[in-house]
Amino acid sequence: MRLVTFLARRLLLLAPLLLAVAFFAFMLVRVSGQDPVAMLAGPTASAAEIAMIRTQLALDQPLWAQFGAWLAKLAQGDLGRSWISNRPVLAELLDRAPATLELLLYGLAIGAAIGIPVGLAAARRPDGTFDQVSRFISLLGFSTPTYWLGLIMLLVFFFMLGLAPPGMGRISLMLEPPPRMTGSYLWDAMLAGQWEVAKSAAAQLMLPVACIAIISAAPIVKQTRAVALEAHGSDWLRFARAQGLPEATVRRMVLRNSATPIVTFVGTELAGLVGTTSLIEYVFAWGGVGQFGLNAIIQGDFAVVQGYVLLLAVFSVLVFLVVDLAVMALEPRAEART
Amino acid sequence: MKRREVLLAGTGALALPGILPAARAQAARTLLLAAPGTPEGFDGDALRPGTQETVVQVYEGLTRYGRIERDGRPYLDNSRIEGHLAESWRVEDSGRRVVFTLRQGVKSFHGNELTSADVEWGWKKSFFQKRTGNFIATVSNVTDVTVVSKYEVAFTLSAPSSIFLSALTLYTPSIYDSTEAKKHATADDPWALKWMETNTAGFGAYQLESVRPGEQAVFVANPNYFRGRPFFDRVVYRAVPSGASRVTLLRSRQVQWIDRPTVQQVLDLQRERNVKVQDVAGRAIASVRMNVTMKPFDDVRVRRALNFALDKQKLLQGVFLGTGEIARSIVPPIVQSYDPSFFAYDFNPDRARALLAEAGLAGGFECELLFSNIWWWEEAMAVQVADQLRGVGVTCRPQRVTGSDLRARAAPNRQDMPFFTFEDGPIVLDPVYTMFLMTHSQGVSNRAKYSNPRVDALIDEARVSLDAAARDRAMREAQRIWMEDAPWLLTAYPQTFEAMAPTIAGWVPHPDEHERWVDLRLA
Repeated sequence: MRLVTFLARRLLLLAPLLLAVAFFAFMLVRVSGQDPVAMLAGPTASAAEIAMIRTQLALDQPLWAQFGAWLAKLAQGDLGRSWISNRPVLAELLDRAPATLELLLYGLAIGAAIGIPVGLAAARRPDGTFDQVSRFISLLGFSTPTYWLGLIMLLVFFFMLGLAPPGMGRISLMLEPPPRMTGSYLWDAMLAGQWEVAKSAAAQLMLPVACIAIISAAPIVKQTRAVALEAHGSDWLRFARAQGLPEATVRRMVLRNSATPIVTFVGTELAGLVGTTSLIEYVFAWGGVGQFGLNAIIQGDFAVVQGYVLLLAVFSVLVFLVVDLAVMALEPRAEART
Repeated sequence: MKRREVLLAGTGALALPGILPAARAQAARTLLLAAPGTPEGFDGDALRPGTQETVVQVYEGLTRYGRIERDGRPYLDNSRIEGHLAESWRVEDSGRRVVFTLRQGVKSFHGNELTSADVEWGWKKSFFQKRTGNFIATVSNVTDVTVVSKYEVAFTLSAPSSIFLSALTLYTPSIYDSTEAKKHATADDPWALKWMETNTAGFGAYQLESVRPGEQAVFVANPNYFRGRPFFDRVVYRAVPSGASRVTLLRSRQVQWIDRPTVQQVLDLQRERNVKVQDVAGRAIASVRMNVTMKPFDDVRVRRALNFALDKQKLLQGVFLGTGEIARSIVPPIVQSYDPSFFAYDFNPDRARALLAEAGLAGGFECELLFSNIWWWEEAMAVQVADQLRGVGVTCRPQRVTGSDLRARAAPNRQDMPFFTFEDGPIVLDPVYTMFLMTHSQGVSNRAKYSNPRVDALIDEARVSLDAAARDRAMREAQRIWMEDAPWLLTAYPQTFEAMAPTIAGWVPHPDEHERWVDLRLA
């Protein structure tokens, strides 16, 4: 019952939050000073034709009226059409979303699988050799520019060593994509039994996923170490040790008590990594939502930028919802507070 | 699904195919090409990113430039226009009507034969859309296109045009397979514009097979192409937004052609064994534009002063790394009537300071120099121009804007930037077209409100004159006046480079700077 109340309350909060995000997304592109009308009208358009296009796009209306019209369409699930390609924005975003999700989830999963154990191990002997090495590597991960990391990975693992395929999308040039089921080329190919395609899709994933794993592992190591250090210095752990509990049990206790902040942090990371992923997508020509949004910003495609920002907001809200549910499962006291 | 198979797929990364895609492509006669993005549309009248690069492969003109060979390489001969989709033509009514006889047996990918109805339909579509094709029609004085017979089509001109035959070499107004296009027209969309966003129907060498936005477009050869089947059966046009990644792909022979390498990349690639770099004199001009209706650029002395303040040789070295040529006229050297003799702005900071003082700006002035990322040279140019102008007391702040913003604000219907970088060049290699495009008050590439009635008159006279010598005189005079008015900071004609696999041969430079896949083959 508590869970139902919690979800209902979250959904109620979602509406004003999305409204606020929609407003900011709308205003952000409007105040950027870009005017796509001249570009859409073409070089020989007369003033009357320019005015006609402005009217068609409702850009001659006051801002509040434009926002109202957009919102009315939004309520019907219509994000408008791309001003560059004339394709529906929602379809464009949904079409590309699996490609981005694939990168994000695999990358973060590997980042967490490396970062959490390393952070826990580092906290066991603060300032020991392992701790110092892990902190140094974590610092490197923190300070490496995403775009540069992608290019270096390509240079080393593809160009110099030949261990990875080139950064040119989600599948080899010589193959056709599998029939769309999930939107992930890897899974779709496996489900369709197209093993050569699946092999190519897995290979193409390798470097971009590794980049995201490196970028996400660095803060996870740091955060996990800090949380675990706090647990190691706590009275209850000292008491447990004084009771003579075996080291394995003590480690489990540390993990159990650190789990909530770590899960919360990893969730925050997932939401925050979307921006980083767009740069990785750019380098590896991934064709996901991030690359699409980045392009729209560069080209001044208002409708796509608005849709992109809104999609990111919805994604973040969903991630935080899942994180809250996970925390409730891990931490009964959290559920009691709902 | 067997567990072993799933594991194999999952660990596929460890066992990459040993054969390079380019090598596999070679066997299959597929051309692999990496470009910044997939085309956002395929309608030559509604140019979007990537459109021009690909529609030139699908739609071809009634005429074409002749071909010549120099040093074993093929070039266009812009002094000779020959029939292409048209076999011949006759001029009537003192140049006000031209009737073309179409080549018979020309078929589209869909198997429909080219008729005069196709030519008429394409031009009417351009008239209706009032965009790129309509500009071409306006500049070449075409007012109507009508069917005479199945293989004869008549063009009506408001006045004789010296540009007309050259303009017909262009991809727009396009000649569509109207039989196919009309199948996709509706009452609301009689020109099938919606269908053309993701489809093509031309009589050219290639046809769009599929497009996955943001990923790739695949083109296939037109099996009925009237000049014989192209060498490459398929062309995979892959979106690789990062320029550095495109270069890496070419160096590693994953692709056979890359779009838009920067000069620095070209210089690096010239040392590579795996890459062939070819170049040709550019037809565009890298420039800094001054809006002649805005202060202080409304004073010709200020404009001349800034021209004197620039050390062009230093810009050529610093920005273009020694490639290209110093621009000495609005007409590029590859276009006839190019006359550099009127260029008077060799580096002379004293003269610049004196002119500024004459204009009442002895203490200099402050301004913003807007630039974007459309052309690779813009940022370096903006920074170096700002640095050089400081030498004559002008404080200039380079300011980045997006490419779409720069284009929109430089369009004829807006033109609200006082000082900005831009690159323009003619896609018809004709001096009258060039001057009309960039200097006439109605020219679409006249982006900073330059207007001189004498220049307009000279161009208008030349547009309707069929006397080559008189046109040449008029265009030289127009260049002289334009140079005196100094509405641009002339810098350089950037060299055009193409980077390709060493096995690729046959590249013919075209004035629109897009290769034609039909020219390419494996050496």
